[in-house]
Amino acid sequence: MHAIEISNVTKRFGTVTAVDDLSLSVPAGCVYGFIGPNGSGKTTTLRMIMSILYPDSGSIRVLGEERRQACNDRIGYLPEERGLYRKMRVRDMLQFYGRLRAAADVNREVDYWLERMDLASWADKKVEALSKGMSQKVQFIAAVVPRPELVILDEPFTGLDPVNTDVLQQVVLELQANGTTVIFSTHDMNTAENMCDFIFMIFRGRKVLDGALTEIQDRYGSDTVRVRIEGETGLLRGVPGVERVTDRGHLQELRLAHGSDSQQVLEAIAARARITHFELARPSLHDIFVRIAGPEGEETGDA
Amino acid sequence: MRKVLLVALRDYSATVRTKGFIVGLLLAPVLLGGGILAVRLLEGHVDTTDRQIAVVDRSGVVAPALLEAAKRRNESEIYEQETQKKVGPAYLLEVVTPDEGEAQQQRLQLSERVREGELSAFVEIGKEVVHPGDDAPEARITYRSENPVFDEARRWIAQAVNDRIRSLRLAEAQLEPETVARLTRWMPVEGLALVSTGEAGEAERTSELQAIGIPYALLMLMFVFIMAAAAPLTQSVLEEKMQRIAEVLLGSVRPSELMMGKLLGAVGVSLTTVSVYLVGGILAARYLNVSQSIPYHVLPWFAAYGIAALFMFGAMFIAVGSACNDLKEAQSLMMPLWLFLVVPMFLWLPVIKEPTAGLATWASLFPPFTPMLMVIRLASPVTIPAWQPWVGLAGVALATVLSVWVAGRIFRVGILLQGKPPKLHEILRWVARG
Repeated sequence: MHAIEISNVTKRFGTVTAVDDLSLSVPAGCVYGFIGPNGSGKTTTLRMIMSILYPDSGSIRVLGEERRQACNDRIGYLPEERGLYRKMRVRDMLQFYGRLRAAADVNREVDYWLERMDLASWADKKVEALSKGMSQKVQFIAAVVPRPELVILDEPFTGLDPVNTDVLQQVVLELQANGTTVIFSTHDMNTAENMCDFIFMIFRGRKVLDGALTEIQDRYGSDTVRVRIEGETGLLRGVPGVERVTDRGHLQELRLAHGSDSQQVLEAIAARARITHFELARPSLHDIFVRIAGPEGEETGDA
Repeated sequence: MRKVLLVALRDYSATVRTKGFIVGLLLAPVLLGGGILAVRLLEGHVDTTDRQIAVVDRSGVVAPALLEAAKRRNESEIYEQETQKKVGPAYLLEVVTPDEGEAQQQRLQLSERVREGELSAFVEIGKEVVHPGDDAPEARITYRSENPVFDEARRWIAQAVNDRIRSLRLAEAQLEPETVARLTRWMPVEGLALVSTGEAGEAERTSELQAIGIPYALLMLMFVFIMAAAAPLTQSVLEEKMQRIAEVLLGSVRPSELMMGKLLGAVGVSLTTVSVYLVGGILAARYLNVSQSIPYHVLPWFAAYGIAALFMFGAMFIAVGSACNDLKEAQSLMMPLWLFLVVPMFLWLPVIKEPTAGLATWASLFPPFTPMLMVIRLASPVTIPAWQPWVGLAGVALATVLSVWVAGRIFRVGILLQGKPPKLHEILRWVARG
């Protein structure tokens, strides 16, 4: 059972193709992370799933239905920014949003979430009095009252301090444990790595990554070596079989050329300097992201 | 429908609960009533400083009587009878002998005295004032002061001088003033309403209140009814659009439900406002003992036209809000809507003067104008053809359906559209294609 099935969807704004022939399946009950640089088409894709925008071609099925209207009480949505009545009191507004979804026990549900998100003391304050982080949490509550089957969060962690980020991450995982499918977009690779069952990366409107984190890492192989040597790090330049050296401070990260053997590289370095640390590593999501979307990726085109 | 009502309720309480709404509700009549009150108060507040007025009487027969009249006035008329409080200035006349050779020189001297504040005015009475003939220069009466146009003393002098001249003329003709008054008595023409039942007795008198006051009050009330809620819809929709509230809301309600909810909320706001004014007006009319002038038969029409008009204009104001990104952009699109609302305000006087004339009939059958103009025609004492309010209502109903349909099509596209504002032809395309 798939919560979302996107087939060959294309969306253009004027001459710009925001999403290009995208296909994607989101299994029910998972946490799916959308990553990608700014302006790559994440929000457009999420807004198409919400039926706020319509694709120029292709089809999108959400919770088994081809959608024509944005209106669906089974889906909760947190837009990229704002989405709150500034002049309303926090509790009144959340109850209003909840009642619109035909929820039973809205009041209790709202109070539960206010308590859970540590906002109970702000319940009777006006939304405009909240800090950015607090309104982000209120917005999150608006999306999850009352427990929809599918929750779509556009950049839910932006503007949150580490404590609140932890709270929100915890809550998302709780939602998943209760069977809710969660899709969120983020710029924070650590969050994506830690939380997502599946990761989807979009770059220039095209899908460049899609799958479980381990699958993705496997695809990029163990081509990364972390080394610490005594003496000048410049000694690492020009080692045969090494494509790129990145200075990570106390460690040097080497990316091996395709087909080269890490043992030969180890020997080559040992011949130049005394090695204090040598580690075969999988590329982090951050590395993969930068490889695709960084200047290097831009030069070589899509991965 | 449940969701429509939820949206309506939220919009209603979001508007009605604000301080601005309550202040505005109370302030409008205070400003209007306060204006009238201020005029009244200022009317009562007169400068009671005594006036020194020089009189140059070339005829030689007016000045003594003028002195006499001023004395009478200064003794009695400037004091309130009960309290003996001074309520007006005394006119202290100073008779100046005319200088026949140097008339211009004398005028200059007197003018200087006025400028210095020694005199407040001076009057010259021509030699031939009793027998002016064909407007001879010698018959003129002139009054000079710093501001002769708004000078109460000038009017008093005119009256007093003419009283004296008239009595002189009557004496010459050997007529008794009482006889003349009896012979020249003026008979007024009273404006009365038509007799509607066979009952005997005095037909009620048509007052200015009924002919002008009540229709005008209803016109203003209708304007308030439409404006109080329709115009704020633009801003409310803009907020929902720009704050991305619409994206969240439209996850739970259809665009049509959202729009209908907002319109219903607006109707609620307007009904609240107008009920307050209407009840206030009726209570005031009872208090002032003019409650028989209230045209209760017009009120159902008022409600029907008003609610339809609110949907008709409200839908358009919503469409404007949804198509724009800020209030500045919206303003230019709102102009034509304002025009439809303001034109009846200019037409009301000709319409009320001749409610059955062509202009009144056709203008009041043009749907955007119907709610305001038909109501004042109905409220006027003149009977208009019975079919016209019904045809007007049908026209308004049709226009309302059309307006809501068009606005709905603009709204559901516009409300989710971010970025640069759409051109007019794009908006028309949304309407055409849906």
